[in-house]
Amino acid sequence: MITLGSQGKNTFLEDVNVKSGANVLECYQCGKCVGTCPVSQYMDFPPREIMQMIKLGLRNECYMANSHWFCLTCSACSGRCPREIDIPAVMEAVRHLAIDENYINDSKKVREIRKFHEIFLDMIKRYGRNYELRMMAEFNIRTRNLFKDMHLAPKALLKGKIPLGVKPLKSAKAIKRMFAIAEKLEKNK
Amino acid sequence: MKKLTYFPGCSAHGTSEEFDSTLKLVLKTLDVELEDIPDWNCCGATSAHVMTENLAYALPMRNLVLAEKLENTTMGIACASCYQRMKVTKVHMDENPELAKRINTTVVEEGTYQGKVDVKSMLQYAYEDIGLDIIKSKVTKPLNGLKVACYYGCLLTRPKNITKFDSPEYPVSMDQICEALGATATEFDYKTECCGASFSISNTEVVENLSGQILAMAKESGAHAIVVACPLCQSNLDMRQPDIEKKQGIKYDIPIFYFTQLMALAFGYPIDQLKFPKHIVPVEGALANIGKVEPVPEKVKKPIKAVEAESEVK
Repeated sequence: MITLGSQGKNTFLEDVNVKSGANVLECYQCGKCVGTCPVSQYMDFPPREIMQMIKLGLRNECYMANSHWFCLTCSACSGRCPREIDIPAVMEAVRHLAIDENYINDSKKVREIRKFHEIFLDMIKRYGRNYELRMMAEFNIRTRNLFKDMHLAPKALLKGKIPLGVKPLKSAKAIKRMFAIAEKLEKNK
Repeated sequence: MKKLTYFPGCSAHGTSEEFDSTLKLVLKTLDVELEDIPDWNCCGATSAHVMTENLAYALPMRNLVLAEKLENTTMGIACASCYQRMKVTKVHMDENPELAKRINTTVVEEGTYQGKVDVKSMLQYAYEDIGLDIIKSKVTKPLNGLKVACYYGCLLTRPKNITKFDSPEYPVSMDQICEALGATATEFDYKTECCGASFSISNTEVVENLSGQILAMAKESGAHAIVVACPLCQSNLDMRQPDIEKKQGIKYDIPIFYFTQLMALAFGYPIDQLKFPKHIVPVEGALANIGKVEPVPEKVKKPIKAVEAESEVK
């Protein structure tokens, strides 16, 4: 049953619209986004289907899909959308809602994508900037795949493509403070 | 002498050091002085906006606030991803003062965000603020004979309501810059396709697939090299190229230049200052085409005619 505007709690459609600033109801299912999307073949549900699922209020199904984790935010779809819907913003809204409500797609690929982003943010929190070599090493350790990309390492290191160190920020404290306040803002949304 | 606030981005000290150093050479010739943002921080890249909304705005905002303390009205950004995060933040903050106020609480000690500084990618700056005529006038060693496929990726021209620069589908600014240097830009349909971007490490299979298609299309367009303005595009197409070749069983051997490297080359800088040894795919083969007279293409229209003849028979 379609439960648009059901009593009390916001419908999924409303939640996504408010968070993304887009209006998902505008979508008339032409499928141009799917044809454009460079990663739709890896998604459980391509963007067009996600849009329809949002309209139908299929909250759990959307949260558990890998689609919003595979979206690269390349904005090719929104550029071609005849209804000019900001589809990457919709995908992002679904992802943020899923993270907030602790819904986690537990497939290996999504775990790895998520782990990468967590490590990247950890690097910024620690150094204020990205420490490329350490990030790659930590990713290999934390995903238990020690030898990933190791065949590229000798060449990349010898050529100085990837430096061994990072120049941390002088005001490292400012970044730590920013992270702390931003976390508080996330909680008080 | 023009002055420009400069945001190099993390990769300028790492994987894209050659972009940063050749950009500085080029701007020296073009009489532009760069002023670094003191103690800038990472823009948060893809990871911040994937995981959280507030941090994705807070990290760029600190840089924007610090940039406002310098006198220049424009900030030039080398990395395409940094550029987009900074521009998205600027546009959203300017549109929504309430949001700006909330995000400003994360960087309250640095100052208040005022929205005074405009944000441009270095490609946009070269194209709009310097201009093709001036670029052309500085060329001492034209790149005649070099055919390049200009690859823009996703972030420099999209989303169009944020970047407001060139075309989101078929941009031409980099093509025109390369032509001003004497090179020939090929008809390249994969200009704004995605290279796989942040999946470089976490989902390499996707990157090999998408970047492989870009390499194949560039080769098909007749290009000797691909020109980019984004560090992640460069490393995906260059560092992953040997693996892609192995996977597809095709030898591409197509080097990936930053547009600033070609500009510096055409401006007459000696080759040992252009950091070519940092490339994984060797550049010598492509550069050997410079100065060579173009052979006349042999009956290019042949296949088209064959198709026409077939349809006539039917």
